[in-house]
Amino acid sequence: MVEIARNVDPDNHALYEGVPAADHRLERLRQLLVGGEISELSRVTHLLDEPEQLASAVGNVLPEATARASHAQLGEALAPAVERAAQRSIQKNPNTLTDILYPVFLPAIRKSIGEKIDQTFQSLNESLRHIFTWHGLKWRFEAWRTGTSFSAVVLKHSLIYRVEHVFLISRASGLLIAHVTSQDATSEDPQLISSMLSAIQDFVKDSFKEKENSGLDTIRFGELRLWSEVGQFATLVAVIRGNPPEELHEVIRDVLLRIHQESSRALERFDGDSSQLPGVETQLQTCVELQHMDSKEGFPWLVVTAVLLALIVAGGWFFLSWQSAHRWQSYLSRLAAQPGIVVSDQKTSGGEFYVAGLRDPLAADPQSLLPGTEVDSARVHSNWHFYQSLEPEFVLKRLSASLAPPDSIRLSVVDGRIVAEGEATTTWINRARAAAQHLSAGGPVFDISGVRDVSAEDRWQAYVSRLEAQPGIIVADQNVRDGQFYITGLRDPLAADPQSLLSGTQVDPARVHASWQFYQSLEPRFVLNRLAASLAPPDSVRLSVVNDRIVAAGEATTAWINRARAAAQQLSAGGPVFDISGVRDVSPEERWQAYVSRLETQPGIIVAQQNVRDGQFYVTGLRDPLAVDPQSLLSGTQVDPARVHASWQFYQSLEPGFVLKRLTALLYPLGKVRLSIVNGRIIAEGEAPDTWIDRARAAARQLSEGGPEFDISKVRDVSPDARAAEHWQYYVSRLEAQPGIIVAQQTERGGDFYISGLRDPLAADPQALLSGTQVDPARVHSQWQFYQSLDPKFVVKRLTASLSPPKSVQLSIIQGRIVVVGEAPAGWISRAQAAADQLSADGVVLDVSQLRELNLAELDHLREAIQTTDIFFSSGRVVPGPEQTPVLDRLADQLKEFAESARNAGVTARFMLTGHSDTTGRETANASISAARAETVRALLNKRGVAPELLLVRGAGTFEPAVPENENSRTGNSTNRRVSVTVNLE
Amino acid sequence: MLQKKICMLGGFAVGKTSLVRRFVQSIFSENYLTTVGVKIDKKSVAFPDKTVDLILWDLAGEDDIGSFRVSYVRGATGLVLVVDGTRPATLAVALTLRERCEAEFGAMPFILLFNKSDLADRWAIPEGEIDELKQRGWQVYLTSALSGEHVDDAFHQLASMVAK
Repeated sequence: MVEIARNVDPDNHALYEGVPAADHRLERLRQLLVGGEISELSRVTHLLDEPEQLASAVGNVLPEATARASHAQLGEALAPAVERAAQRSIQKNPNTLTDILYPVFLPAIRKSIGEKIDQTFQSLNESLRHIFTWHGLKWRFEAWRTGTSFSAVVLKHSLIYRVEHVFLISRASGLLIAHVTSQDATSEDPQLISSMLSAIQDFVKDSFKEKENSGLDTIRFGELRLWSEVGQFATLVAVIRGNPPEELHEVIRDVLLRIHQESSRALERFDGDSSQLPGVETQLQTCVELQHMDSKEGFPWLVVTAVLLALIVAGGWFFLSWQSAHRWQSYLSRLAAQPGIVVSDQKTSGGEFYVAGLRDPLAADPQSLLPGTEVDSARVHSNWHFYQSLEPEFVLKRLSASLAPPDSIRLSVVDGRIVAEGEATTTWINRARAAAQHLSAGGPVFDISGVRDVSAEDRWQAYVSRLEAQPGIIVADQNVRDGQFYITGLRDPLAADPQSLLSGTQVDPARVHASWQFYQSLEPRFVLNRLAASLAPPDSVRLSVVNDRIVAAGEATTAWINRARAAAQQLSAGGPVFDISGVRDVSPEERWQAYVSRLETQPGIIVAQQNVRDGQFYVTGLRDPLAVDPQSLLSGTQVDPARVHASWQFYQSLEPGFVLKRLTALLYPLGKVRLSIVNGRIIAEGEAPDTWIDRARAAARQLSEGGPEFDISKVRDVSPDARAAEHWQYYVSRLEAQPGIIVAQQTERGGDFYISGLRDPLAADPQALLSGTQVDPARVHSQWQFYQSLDPKFVVKRLTASLSPPKSVQLSIIQGRIVVVGEAPAGWISRAQAAADQLSADGVVLDVSQLRELNLAELDHLREAIQTTDIFFSSGRVVPGPEQTPVLDRLADQLKEFAESARNAGVTARFMLTGHSDTTGRETANASISAARAETVRALLNKRGVAPELLLVRGAGTFEPAVPENENSRTGNSTNRRVSVTVNLE
Repeated sequence: MLQKKICMLGGFAVGKTSLVRRFVQSIFSENYLTTVGVKIDKKSVAFPDKTVDLILWDLAGEDDIGSFRVSYVRGATGLVLVVDGTRPATLAVALTLRERCEAEFGAMPFILLFNKSDLADRWAIPEGEIDELKQRGWQVYLTSALSGEHVDDAFHQLASMVAK
């Protein structure tokens, strides 16, 4: 307590001086009462006293304290320290702060530089664009006057723009804070637009992973640009129409900065209620007011251009109208120069051309003159009246058309006169004269004096004179009356036909009336013709006209000469001389002899006798009917047929030529057969039907002895039925010749063949015999009954098949008997005997008496050797040991030999291989091992050339031991492990 | 002028676009949904003392939640979750979308619309499940873009929730 009092009041200290200071009880009590506080107090004191402890304690709470401090006061308090710290840091190492601020500054710097470059390019572009223009010069003056750079002046004048909308958009929500629009600018709902803009900003940022804090800078759509400036809490988007200068970015940015400065808190807290941000719109309004419109007042380019245009149009119009007028005039003068065209009136009105006048239908078409003058034909309006021009050319044309002058007339214009020249008929000349009179009034002269009158009369006269020049035609009278022509006169029948002479004279035959009397002309040529017709001179006489005399030369009979002489006398009065002195008289006898000798050289004619008596000729002889007719030979011989008395006997000449002729006549028609004579023989070749061949064959037979041979073997019978029947007969005969086939009946009906009969099964197949006979198998209907032929040959065949005689036996047919010769086993012999007994009932003799029984002793020996051979095996083995190889070899040889011998004897030997085993082991195993041993031996023998089908196999197991088994033997008896062989003969 | 950013969320083809087509003011074509992934519409809701403009961000419906552009939701004050009443899976999609938004930007008021209520025969959301959602205090509406049933009510409710 004292201690407490002392502590409470220091004055008490002295009061209780006497009280022991270190009363341990007090100390104890203090400890009890305030011990905890004391230690806590001392810890705090220690904390405050120790700077290090205090720093760490304050450091723990400083961030929290700063956060809770009033922002304004803290900022005030910290600002000098932070400034100093930054200053100090920069002084110490500028890089540190640079590194920190680098990400902040870089985008801003980059953007600023970009804008600057854009600005430069823009100014450069504009400067270049205006450097050589009128206002370019003007601006240079302005730059000089105001002392600014030329490019600045250019930009000032060329950049025309207007800020139409300004949006202030909250960056956080994309909600519209404020929107200002210029006068008369319209847009959709600004709220939706601002949200969509920020959505698109987000879209771009997300899509291209752009981390930069700037957002979309510029969107351009044609004339319209969206410039956005991104602030801390809000984005300002200006919609600008036109071409803004880059400095405008700075202006917009300034506005945004100002808004942020003034209403930073309100922007940050913006929750969609725009009433919290009054006064923002006023700021934005300054942006909207930004615009630059170049004054358009200056040089009146529009007016000048308009005037220029008007001048050009007017000049062009003047030129064109002058040009078209000029062309029109040239066209008119061209028209006026045309003959047959008279221009009476022409004018130009409103670009259209009018022309009127007269034109001759034969003149050139005014329309056709247009091309080449370049006058637009659509603008030409013509009014032409037709008239007849009297200019000589047109008159000529019209005359040509109306008079149709003949080809012989030529019209031409000579010194303004129309002249016709040539030949024409009177009628044409009359028409031309009328036309000439018609023309006289004012027209050109038509001179037809040069046309010669060529009328029908002239042509008639020409014809008449032509007639008169004809020999044998005498024109007595001719005249022309009413356009008809009459002519009379004489004509020799041999003279030219006056009618035929008309052609080509252009005289109309219908108008010619001719009357001709026939007469005999005494002109030598006509007389000659008549003589030739009446005297019929023989071939040996030639008539000709020599110096108006008719001369006959050659040989003729006296009769003819007499007739000729009479004719000559008749002619004498006034006619030409007929001189027959040149004709030699040929006596009849001479001519007869010539005729006879000619007869004698004829084949088929034999002159027997001939003589001449009293001027008559007699001849007798033989003639073949096919020989030349002797009478016909008379003609041309000048022998008088009336004086020839011939007596001919017919005979048949056997000369091959005649025979051939006769055959040809007889066998007509020959068809494809050709007859010829080869070495005195008549040979027929080719194809013919059977009927022809029959006839030819008959003719050949009829040819009498001594005649030439008629060979028809080379003629092929082409009658199909005949050939088919022939083939069929050949087939039947072939069948009949076959042993074992008996043809009972065969017919041919309607092209088909029927055959029936018996056949032995062993005989040749009738069907197979068809081949090579050319008989159509489809037309053959066969019906065969099987039978057993008792023909010995068939009996032998059957016996061979049924008895299968051994090779040592031979069957032969001797005089209808079947004889069996050779050696055979007894069994076979007894079977043969049985067959012989059976056959004897059918009347066939089978003689087996000469068969000898086969001696099998040698085989028995071999069989013994085989059957005593055993193949031995080791215990439990199925393959024999190598020591058994020689045994197997020998056995194989023996088996082969035995089999061969048996086969020769007509028997088959088979060998049974029996496998055995000893008694050791189970019985089933022993059975299978024994069979396996037999199989092995069979395989080994087969390998050595023994035919496998001869080897039979069985397993006997222990049942057929060779020796009794010894009960005590452990391995069994080796003798019982074997394969034995037995021989069977079949 | 009071405006609020509202995001409309829902799976593919739940009918968000048809839901707003007839009831809102719009100047953008639906192509924006496929190109930009968002379409902005406006719905003005009038109260006695004020008018609230709901700026509706119609986000392209995706069943693939991974491709959802969550950045579009920044600054939103409310959500409209749209579910296709005939496809229960779309409810899960809508709720997952809401969770993603809340994880990113914190809790915000929302309304849950079960759309296509006109397709009664194909309706696939059990009554109980809807009741259970209402029990949580959620604003749940059965709407039909066809008949317009409850659409205005829903927007009215949302406007009152975000304009407090």
